[in-house]
Amino acid sequence: MAERAATVDCLVLEAAEQLLFPTEDSRRGLALAAVGGYGRAQLFPYSDVDLLLLCETDREVAERKAPIAEFLRRLWDCGLRVSQSVRTPAECLEVHGQNIELNISLLDLRRLAGDRALYGGLEEKMPRFLQANRDALVDNLSRLTGERHAKFADTLYHLEPSIKEGPGGLRDYQLLCWLEQLGGARAAPPPELQRAFEHLARIRWRLHEMAGRDQNILTFDAQDALAEEWGQGDAALWMREYYRHSRAIHRAAGRELESVEGRTSGLLAQFRDWRSRLGNADIGVRRERAFLREPHMLEDDPELTLRLFEFAARHGIRPSLETTRRIEAQAGRLRAWFSVSRPIWPALDRIFTLPHAPLALRAMHEAGVLGAIFPELDATECLVIRDFYHRYTVDEHTMVAIEKLWRPEAPFADLLSEVTEPGALIFAGLFHDSGKGSPSEGHVDGSLRLAQAAMDRVVPPPHERETVLFLIRNHLELSAVMQGRDLFDQRTIREAAGRTQTVERLKALTLLTYADISAVNPSAMTPWRAEQLWQLYMAVYNELTRELETDRIASLPAGGAGRAEFLEGFPTRYLRTHTEGEIDEHMALEARSRRRGVAVDVRRLEAAWRMTLAAADRPGLFAAAAGALSGFGLNILRAEAFSNRRGVVLDTFTFADPLRNLELNPSEVDRLRATAERVIAGRADVDELLRGRPRPAPPSRQARIPAKIHFDSEAGGAATLIEIVAQDRPGLLYDLASAISSNGGNIEVVLIDTEAHKAIDVFYVTAEGRKLTPEKRAAIAEALQRAVG
Amino acid sequence: MKKIEAIIQPFKLDEVKEALKSIGIDGMTITEVRGHGRQKGHREIYRGQEYNVDLLPKVKLELVTTAARCEEVVTALAAAARTGKIGDGKIFVYDVAEAIRIRNDDRGDSAL
Repeated sequence: MAERAATVDCLVLEAAEQLLFPTEDSRRGLALAAVGGYGRAQLFPYSDVDLLLLCETDREVAERKAPIAEFLRRLWDCGLRVSQSVRTPAECLEVHGQNIELNISLLDLRRLAGDRALYGGLEEKMPRFLQANRDALVDNLSRLTGERHAKFADTLYHLEPSIKEGPGGLRDYQLLCWLEQLGGARAAPPPELQRAFEHLARIRWRLHEMAGRDQNILTFDAQDALAEEWGQGDAALWMREYYRHSRAIHRAAGRELESVEGRTSGLLAQFRDWRSRLGNADIGVRRERAFLREPHMLEDDPELTLRLFEFAARHGIRPSLETTRRIEAQAGRLRAWFSVSRPIWPALDRIFTLPHAPLALRAMHEAGVLGAIFPELDATECLVIRDFYHRYTVDEHTMVAIEKLWRPEAPFADLLSEVTEPGALIFAGLFHDSGKGSPSEGHVDGSLRLAQAAMDRVVPPPHERETVLFLIRNHLELSAVMQGRDLFDQRTIREAAGRTQTVERLKALTLLTYADISAVNPSAMTPWRAEQLWQLYMAVYNELTRELETDRIASLPAGGAGRAEFLEGFPTRYLRTHTEGEIDEHMALEARSRRRGVAVDVRRLEAAWRMTLAAADRPGLFAAAAGALSGFGLNILRAEAFSNRRGVVLDTFTFADPLRNLELNPSEVDRLRATAERVIAGRADVDELLRGRPRPAPPSRQARIPAKIHFDSEAGGAATLIEIVAQDRPGLLYDLASAISSNGGNIEVVLIDTEAHKAIDVFYVTAEGRKLTPEKRAAIAEALQRAVG
Repeated sequence: MKKIEAIIQPFKLDEVKEALKSIGIDGMTITEVRGHGRQKGHREIYRGQEYNVDLLPKVKLELVTTAARCEEVVTALAAAARTGKIGDGKIFVYDVAEAIRIRNDDRGDSAL
């Protein structure tokens, strides 16, 4: 490059001597200097040759117009792409907010010819100018860099990266040099960066030569040609080396930007210091970065890393670079630690589901912790899989997918709050393409195998494990349906419903599909496609809800006559959502209920409680059970009510105990069980129980979720569907259920879900064994409307 | 030269592309569009709220071919896009005055 710069110097000087400075006199008042890449003597073939024509005064600019034009023409004729600016020294020493490139290009000033005194004057004033305006220049540089990176979706892992402008490209290396210069340092960059720069520069040189112009995109064709040329047949491997170098530059630039910004902004720093109060015994916060107070503890306690990233996921605070380095230094130890079975699922589940999960996962990936816990993901690191649509490497695609999963756009955003196992969804997102690294099998099969191996070590609960495998196995299904099937054909929808089986899985699968498509490239999820996915979701959702009532268990899997008798008449959903063990427990409960007509079981789950009851059906039973829970001040989160052919009702309530009443007073659990049994058997009055409870204040108008009540007599076989979406409040379910029961409605099937103050309730109701008559329907509608208020 | 513009069902796109490729046509422009003709909208109720889909998702496919091949292309296209139901779409054929390849200024049939 220097050689090329020298050659260009000769051409430029010759033209300048002839046209700009033909006489000794003409040297006065005008100087010629090289700036930008040419100033640095780093000139690529076909790159711009940046020139500064320094004129002493504005008058000089006007007078010299003709010879300057002639000079530039000559250079163009020689085949140089000249990019010139004509300035006075005063103009050079101003901060140009709009044209920061001029200021920046002057950092690489080099004299070529002309008025020595004029040039000397500028050169002399330059350091003081830079010193005085350092903050403004750094701000501008940082803004420009942000804008430039945004054009590349803030990632360096493009399949066809721009070697000059992209994140981790040559421009970022230059940024590093400039920042160091502005900081007053003149130290040579560390050898690692020097190597990275040389690698990228070499590629750029060849790209320009091959294209015959200033072409900086490392295209697939160029990757093939260069991998071949450099004696590495496999372009994918060759690209991994490129990404490694690019990452070194990207990180160093980020670090440098962070540190100079830290020195400049006072107010922001104060705010950041306030955040330092978030720290705890293990982890401190300084300048918006988390650090380990005693990093040497990592050696004895590798799970400290999990706590660090949980902290990041909770507060949105990235680990500091120093801490990241410490963790990287322990990579071998971490890998060994996590390579044996360790039931760390609860810790991972917390990281996966806290508000800043995508940030934490990205930080884990960058620090190599994700790879240490899940070496299954190694094969997809920086992996280029070429196809027409994908823009990113597989690991980057995965990270983007998780970000999309976490912040879906409307209408998908609502689904996220309704997903019952978000940890399993994120895990499935992490592994959905992991199989792309093992080309010998289909990528879905590969991903399933790897996810299974990983789950064998970290041990998620069986149900979540099943969900993960379901999601990975089917992650291409909805896309395939959208692409190849008629969405308005009922058969398509029935098949999709059969495949997804439950509403819960449908929601998770829809989100994963949304995220997977969105992460292919920034414009892959067009509004058109989003609409199609939403159409499909709605249709399958409706199909599954409809099924609740029409699709009953008739013929059975193995398990004895008693079992068949118990299950017959339950919705098929029951089999899909319960394990064998749970069915056995429910049968035992039903056996107990035969003596006294009712049996109730209350138990603690991980983050909530569950009440299960078996009883002979009677009017108002469901309302009574819901009322008993409300009477104890418990919040019902989810509920299901099914009845079998013999009129045995099985109701399940999942509820929260906001005041920790049950937890702190074990005797209250017994009292709840006894009260529920009495109320269900009709031996105690629910209204009595509820009388003493204070009614909560309604939420503010803006936060309220508008109530919607929808009746559908077409949907079910023998019952009317009532679907209610309303603002949740304590006692709501009791009020709704009594509104139905007290107006002669018999509740056949119930599916209740509550997410973030929103209750989504589906009831199938009959009256005298048939669908609701219009009169009954009107009466129930009015009572429900009063209940949701 | 003729321009063939077809509005087809999205789920038929892959079949149509295959069919065209098999008769040697692989240049075309594809756009995601919305619209309706005789196949009127569709109503879906989700949680008590109505979603009216009066403009249905369709794919628009455009290609230009020599006048001689036009009929063959239209036939292949229609056969591949047909399900026999309302909503299969339509094909329009236009006359094209001139075609120019921007790269090298080729004109007429040789620019296709």
